[in-house]
Amino acid sequence: MLARIGRAALRSLDEFLYSLGFFARVLLESVRLVGRKRVGRRVLVHQILFTGVEALRITAVMAVAIGAAIIGIGNSLLSEFGQSRLMYTILIIVIAKELGPLLTAFIIIARSGTAIATELGGMVVGHEIEAYVAVGVDPIAFLAAPRFLGVVVSMATLYVYFNVFGLLGSFAVVQLVMPIGFDAYIRSLFSALAPGDLLLGLLKSLVYGAIISSVSLNRGFSVESASTEVPVAGIRAVSSSFMLCILAEFIMLAVQYMG
Amino acid sequence: MAAVPIIELRDVHAVRGEYEALRGVSLALPEGEASFLMGGAGSGKSVLLKTAAGIRLPSEGEVLYKGASLARMSAREEAAFRRDSGFAFQDSALWANQSLFDNLALPARVHEPGWGKAEVERAARRAAELVGFEDDLRARPAELSAGERQLIGLARALVLDPPLVFMDDPAANLDEEAAERVLGIIAALKERGRSLAIVSSSSDCVSRFADRVIALKDGHVIASGSYDEAAAWTDPAVRAVTGRLKARQRDEGPEWASGLAGEWARALAEDSFAIPEDGRDRDDGRMADLGDIINDVADPDGGERGKGER
Repeated sequence: MLARIGRAALRSLDEFLYSLGFFARVLLESVRLVGRKRVGRRVLVHQILFTGVEALRITAVMAVAIGAAIIGIGNSLLSEFGQSRLMYTILIIVIAKELGPLLTAFIIIARSGTAIATELGGMVVGHEIEAYVAVGVDPIAFLAAPRFLGVVVSMATLYVYFNVFGLLGSFAVVQLVMPIGFDAYIRSLFSALAPGDLLLGLLKSLVYGAIISSVSLNRGFSVESASTEVPVAGIRAVSSSFMLCILAEFIMLAVQYMG
Repeated sequence: MAAVPIIELRDVHAVRGEYEALRGVSLALPEGEASFLMGGAGSGKSVLLKTAAGIRLPSEGEVLYKGASLARMSAREEAAFRRDSGFAFQDSALWANQSLFDNLALPARVHEPGWGKAEVERAARRAAELVGFEDDLRARPAELSAGERQLIGLARALVLDPPLVFMDDPAANLDEEAAERVLGIIAALKERGRSLAIVSSSSDCVSRFADRVIALKDGHVIASGSYDEAAAWTDPAVRAVTGRLKARQRDEGPEWASGLAGEWARALAEDSFAIPEDGRDRDDGRMADLGDIINDVADPDGGERGKGER
């Protein structure tokens, strides 16, 4: 029993160290890719298109719905306690600092994380990755780095859109049921918003993007030979990405509020 | 002093999941010879071939190419090794999101940065002609039959006319005519002095072409020797792996190609089928910039990434 626990612990440690090494390689190749004269523009653009642009609609709907709910609830509830101005602080905390980056990450995990893991897993099963190695093309540089960069850039872009829709789009929705003066809204919003809030949200987005892409790439490449491993890789990419993003959020919260 | 083998494995172990596919394999493949790996299902012959080709890393031991360890090669040396070797997979392993042309052109784009588009196209088309594929190269692999895909996979391995070719059961799953063509290609490669490492389950194919036979069982080399030695093996366990290998007449060799594919194979053997006339001067080990390749093959209408990209 003890031996089995020990073996499992060693295996987990081994996997963890491998994942760290894999992440470092992907990061290095991504930097090299950026440094090249002709970066793989099309692969990168396609990745951003599918990860960022195609996820725009669902991101916008989610951001507007959450922003509108906060404005609606805040306006009616907080005014009873004479704390209406707190609504803007809550809006900033939820949309720009905490929930915005995390919800955007969840959207990317569900859409692109699974797609990357299953696509690469399918390529492993079809020996396509081995074929790249055989002709002298490094799969990390050729397949992983553009996807990594694409997801990270898309996360940052979607975060910006989440803010735009969550802070401004939601205002437009609320106007339909509960008119608020635009000037007053914008002035109050900007008085509650510090540049640091946006930078923090952006930083979180980049961290989540790096986590999602590297975990999904790692899971995809981890498929060995059976086609039944491919959907399993997709599921593991989702669950690992969720857990690591939440863990990262927890750590960043701890640093932010306790540090 | 003995000649340095083109590929040498020293006490190589390979683990596949929980299973040890190779258990301390040591062998040497001489330059310019056709070495055949034989073994039953699960004997480790495909893993051995991929390990020898540097596609799979051994968990222990080392693989040497012309005396240099693959694991310790510089990027430049590794690029030269990749340029000088081709690998034909058993199940073709074509890149599904690329056209057939891009599949054939990628080795040239990677290793011959000095070639222009016309030269790359010529090499790709000649490789396709070599395996008898005359249809549209703009098609995707999914549009071909399994046999056609396997032939294109073989063509990709030969597109740069490498001096070392690995083939994983190249005639399996092919109809008679296509299999005959593949055998003709092996004959032609032998006549051109290429070093061949071939996995084959056909004792007939081994009888025709093998200079050296390696028998595998459960990840171990159970017998290894020249073809003449192999034909004389009497151990039932080894004979169960190799089947009946005919004793070969001494003057039989030069007739193999004509016996298999006649004039076509002979003509092929005399022809430099891949290297464009004005593309011979190359700098070994120099690779094209990866960004250029990505841009070249990433065309959504005929290139690398398609709808699968997320």
